[in-house]
Amino acid sequence: MDLENTKAQMRKGILEYCILSVLSKNSCYASDIIKELKEARVIVVEGTLYPLLTRQKNAGLLSYRWEESQQGPPRKYYELTPEGQAYLSDLDKSWDELVESVNLIRTSEQLINQ
Amino acid sequence: MKITVSINLGGYSFNIDEDAYAELKRYLKNLDLHFAGEESSSEILSDIESRMSELFRSKLTVYKQVITLGDVGEVISVMGRPEDFPDNEGPSRKEKFSTPGTHRMYRDPDKRVIGGVSSGMGAYWDIEPWIIRVIFIALAFAGGLGIVIYLILYIVLPEAKTTAQKIEMKGNPVNIHNIKNSVKKEFDTVRKNMKL
Repeated sequence: MDLENTKAQMRKGILEYCILSVLSKNSCYASDIIKELKEARVIVVEGTLYPLLTRQKNAGLLSYRWEESQQGPPRKYYELTPEGQAYLSDLDKSWDELVESVNLIRTSEQLINQ
Repeated sequence: MKITVSINLGGYSFNIDEDAYAELKRYLKNLDLHFAGEESSSEILSDIESRMSELFRSKLTVYKQVITLGDVGEVISVMGRPEDFPDNEGPSRKEKFSTPGTHRMYRDPDKRVIGGVSSGMGAYWDIEPWIIRVIFIALAFAGGLGIVIYLILYIVLPEAKTTAQKIEMKGNPVNIHNIKNSVKKEFDTVRKNMKL
């Protein structure tokens, strides 16, 4: 077992969820999403984000619009579609369940040890 | 003194050292290969290029107007090389390295006239089933041989029931993408029939 690999697997699973969560607050362009994901330390290299965004867009969870920017070429602003919102609330629910399950297991182990 | 190259990255023009250009080109080529199986690979690449362009712009000042090899290295390490990406991100990579699709003969119940033998053989060899039917009928007149062969094949060949079997029948690799396409096609046919 490789710790780094296990960590990477865990991160990968929740990255998709985190992207949708970031976008549920307001529409952002890719660099804003990256900034937030980096601060939360769920992303290591930026290159992983773009295929996910495109896939989520193709799946109808996201849409984007072009917006002019003062600092350069127009930017792609992503936002959740109603479908994406429904998808996210499903994920929210399953995340809560997961956390609960993991906590249950971790605390029950402590009881046995005592 | 160094030669610089002028490039257009994400709609911005950059002057870049020759060695840095070679490195950048190699990197983008690798990304291109990595995302080749992806549905919208060109869109992913252009998103990545825009981001790289943004990162390069942040490295330029009035006193530094040329992208160097060091800049390229830094930007690449921020973006990550394909080998840094989690490898089972999407279906495409797995599909590429999965075992090649098996190609087996089945009876095709969807296009059958009698037992689906001819339609199955047609799907297997990718020819029109009626050609095979004509051969069977011709052989049937030749002392009933066509009927005997047909019956034997009917018994020997299994019917393609599952989506995976229908894909195998045509010799496409069985993977999520193909199953999805196949199911969608079936769904469309059913819908069309309902309307009629």
